[in-house]
Amino acid sequence: MTTATASSRIELRIPSRPEFISVARLAVAAVAHRMGFDYDDIEDLKVATGEALTNAIQHAQISGRESDDRIVIVCAIEPQALVIEVRDSGSGFDPELRRQALEQGELQEGGLGLLLIESLMDKVDFKTKPGKGTLVRMIKRLPGS
Amino acid sequence: MEKRTEVELSSRRVDGQTAVLCIGGEVDLYNTPQLKEEILGLIEGGVRRLVVDLSDTQYLDSTALGVLIGGLKRLRERDGELRLAGPPPRIRKLLEITRLLKVFEVCDSVPQALEGWDAQGGTGR
Repeated sequence: MTTATASSRIELRIPSRPEFISVARLAVAAVAHRMGFDYDDIEDLKVATGEALTNAIQHAQISGRESDDRIVIVCAIEPQALVIEVRDSGSGFDPELRRQALEQGELQEGGLGLLLIESLMDKVDFKTKPGKGTLVRMIKRLPGS
Repeated sequence: MEKRTEVELSSRRVDGQTAVLCIGGEVDLYNTPQLKEEILGLIEGGVRRLVVDLSDTQYLDSTALGVLIGGLKRLRERDGELRLAGPPPRIRKLLEITRLLKVFEVCDSVPQALEGWDAQGGTGR
């Protein structure tokens, strides 16, 4: 991945609380709009960002650190893509276990977020360890790139 | 940040066991508890056939989809049913990705969703 220059990085730090998810969604949408993404892609980015934040907040809730934690959202503007990183210091999780759980049951009340992120973004990487927090890196390429 | 203004929920009874719940605006982790409370309240109040009108829904996240799945499960346990009506293309896309188009009966409109139930006086399941 290309390293973004300082001027093309936008960083947002929010409390790990549900009421701030929409704030981050709107910020990412504004960045994407400025970059020239179309309506559908912007909506995809909003959903994926919202789901990554939902995961982060739920993990903070599980670890009982909801009120203390901050979630960092970084938008790195690259020539042909928007890279979004969502970093938390919550309980972490095993994405492979999540994926397996999804594939096993038809009527899942949880775990759909991961599926949405992976379906809507062009590339997704998870770095997570139980107890060590999670970094989700999502890449959406500009149309025609 | 205390007011939950992004979602508007309104429900109306069609008959003793049938109701339509309209979801307007955006539903995410923040206001999903409101949606859950509304659906559980309807079920506890005797509703067994619920149409969730999504025609004015602008945003629905995975936790809201989870609440709808929970509502469907609870209604099926009571020999009831939950149908979705009028999802805009964006919401339909999310239902497709999450394979929920195979789980829910999705109708184009509220009248269409209510049609079969009017004739059967039951869920037809």
